[in-house]
Amino acid sequence: MASITIQSITKTFGTVPVLHDIDLSIADGEFVVLVGPSGCGKSTLLRMIAGLEDITGGEIRIDGRRINEVAPKDRDIAMVFQSYALYPHMTVADNMSYSLKLRKTARERIAEAVGAAAGKLGLDPLLERRPKALSGGQRQRVAMGRAIVRHPKAFLFDEPLSNLDARLREQMRAEIKRLHKAIGATSVYVTHDQIEAMTLADRIVAMHGGIIQQVGNPLDLYDRPANLFVAGFIGSPAMNFVDGHCRSGAIETDDGSRIAVPGGIDLAEGQAVTVGIRPEHVRIVAGSGAGSYTARVDLVEPTGFGTIVHVRLLGQDLKIYTLERGAAEVGEPLHIALDGDRLHVFDRETTNRIG
Amino acid sequence: MTFYPAAAPPDGDRRTAKQKIAAYLEPWLYSAPVLILIVAIMLVPLALGISYAFRDIRLLNPFSGAFVGLKHFRELAGDGAFRGALVNTLWWTFSSVILQFLFGLILALLLNRPFRGRALAQALCFLPWAVPSFLSGLDWAWMFNPVVGPIPHWLYALGILSEPSNILSDPETAMWGPIVANVWWGIPFFAITMLAALQAIPKDLYEAAEIDGAGPIERFRSITVPFLAPTMAISILLRTVWIANFADLIIVMTNGGPADRTQIVASYIFTQAFRRLDFGYASAIALVLLVLLLAYSMLIVVLRQTMLTRH
Ligand SMILES: Nc1ncnc2c1ncn2[C@@H]1O[C@H](COP(=O)(O)OP(=O)(O)O)[C@@H](O)[C@H]1O
Ligand SMILES: [Mg+2]
Repeated sequence: MASITIQSITKTFGTVPVLHDIDLSIADGEFVVLVGPSGCGKSTLLRMIAGLEDITGGEIRIDGRRINEVAPKDRDIAMVFQSYALYPHMTVADNMSYSLKLRKTARERIAEAVGAAAGKLGLDPLLERRPKALSGGQRQRVAMGRAIVRHPKAFLFDEPLSNLDARLREQMRAEIKRLHKAIGATSVYVTHDQIEAMTLADRIVAMHGGIIQQVGNPLDLYDRPANLFVAGFIGSPAMNFVDGHCRSGAIETDDGSRIAVPGGIDLAEGQAVTVGIRPEHVRIVAGSGAGSYTARVDLVEPTGFGTIVHVRLLGQDLKIYTLERGAAEVGEPLHIALDGDRLHVFDRETTNRIG
Repeated sequence: MTFYPAAAPPDGDRRTAKQKIAAYLEPWLYSAPVLILIVAIMLVPLALGISYAFRDIRLLNPFSGAFVGLKHFRELAGDGAFRGALVNTLWWTFSSVILQFLFGLILALLLNRPFRGRALAQALCFLPWAVPSFLSGLDWAWMFNPVVGPIPHWLYALGILSEPSNILSDPETAMWGPIVANVWWGIPFFAITMLAALQAIPKDLYEAAEIDGAGPIERFRSITVPFLAPTMAISILLRTVWIANFADLIIVMTNGGPADRTQIVASYIFTQAFRRLDFGYASAIALVLLVLLLAYSMLIVVLRQTMLTRH
């Protein structure tokens, strides 16, 4: 088990910069999730930790030891690939024991380690099969088994669940979390799926355009997103954004509506801001009153548990997430209120959070 | 929706005899054009060729053409030149195929890694394939000729030859001439097929193996070889049959000489047919070669099948 320190890491492919000055410390035993849209450089960062990509600038340390020049096999890490990368010509048992055999581990020790890993992952009946004869979920398990037999210092996961169907993904997600609880090894997990990030992570690293946008525990990122990107990326359905200016102590939106400035926020007169409103924080109220808005319902999307209601308000298509069924009918007027404490205000110029 | 019963409805066949015949003939009529083509351009010449083997067919003898039974084959059994040609064929085929394969594989491995100017290098490496075989045979014959070619002088400088002579005129070394030309000419075939197979191997397997601790040789052994094996097997099989039949380079470079030391069965057939104009005897030899190659192909197919079922 180990800590991983990433210091001022940069990466360019040819002349194209992909990662800019990344700094990150991962504690021993921590489960860190790198999340961001596709192409933001998550895999590249992970592969630099693994040793599969050269480090253009900066330094990576595992347990305090600089590993920039260390070969992948000597970094004592294990990686689970999106494609699983199982050796097709080897049985499940051979796939799992391959690294131990190469390390000249004693035969009894190998059998023991493979047996233990197979037991943990329910692979016992599959040990003599080849990857070709396994389902997607089973292959995924074998890939995990191959990683854990060696008891590496750290696990690296590159979108390990992306090739599974939704139900299996949920199941494996829980299993990975349980496994982490049991083994307690330092893990770095790359995904573009914010739900996976939220559910798995001790700490989330949100990335965009090769830059770390915010680091924090999942609820921090949800409650206090540091900028517009994180606000829009974390949470489903996604946050509503309303543009406006500060006018005489309130935020005047572009269509002329006014939103009270939440407490603890100082705005300059005329400052251009974006207000972020989570769909689940818009309340449907019985009648019009002070501070409430009235809008016509555009679209109703039932999701089973809750309902997403689209209304035309504040100059845009505003989404509301409600747990009440039948609260809205298409074409009917709807009275809503905003929770002042739960509004997020961002400077439109810097896109950073205010307050 | 209307339901149309299949050709034979369950409640007995009520069609007339004419309809039945028509239904029976229908698929044959559809495939007739192809079948006729196959019979006309493949089977008829083959049968004709085989029939020559049992007839006395000499172009310069107007009274030839009679059925002679197994006479040619009895002659063949006692023909020392034919036996020599058989041995030479083995020698020629296997050394050519093995060298072509090895160099082709090495070339494919080199071309499979990225470097500047790779596209140009690939195009250049595949150029020999486009050179007509007769032309490359002539080229190599000149290169081995000490009067106009550099190779004897190089070999002499390296101490391999005691004097800069033509290896094609020395019975001991003559076979190496066409083999070298054949290897040069055939490398691109293996390089192309191996490169295509190499590029189909997922890159992350190598990365996973690298993390697992496999060095370059171990990665080659445990990933590249198993992935290439089916392509290797089938391309070596095809090439073996093809090269055993391939007499162009030998005809051009040595014409089977000196002292029949480079005569392979294919060039012997050519000599019998077009120099001695004995088509009957040439056909008999060709028939023997055909049977041998068929047996070889069968052996490989069976081998491949057992290998596949074992996995
Ligand atoms: N080998 C490579 N050569 C050139 N560009 C690459 C290479 N690998 C990745 N990139 C580029 O780097 C960026 C980040 O890629 P990646 O780390 O794979 O993104 P992510 O995993 O976040 O989707 C992308 O724009 C991608 O096109
Ligand atoms: Mg990726």
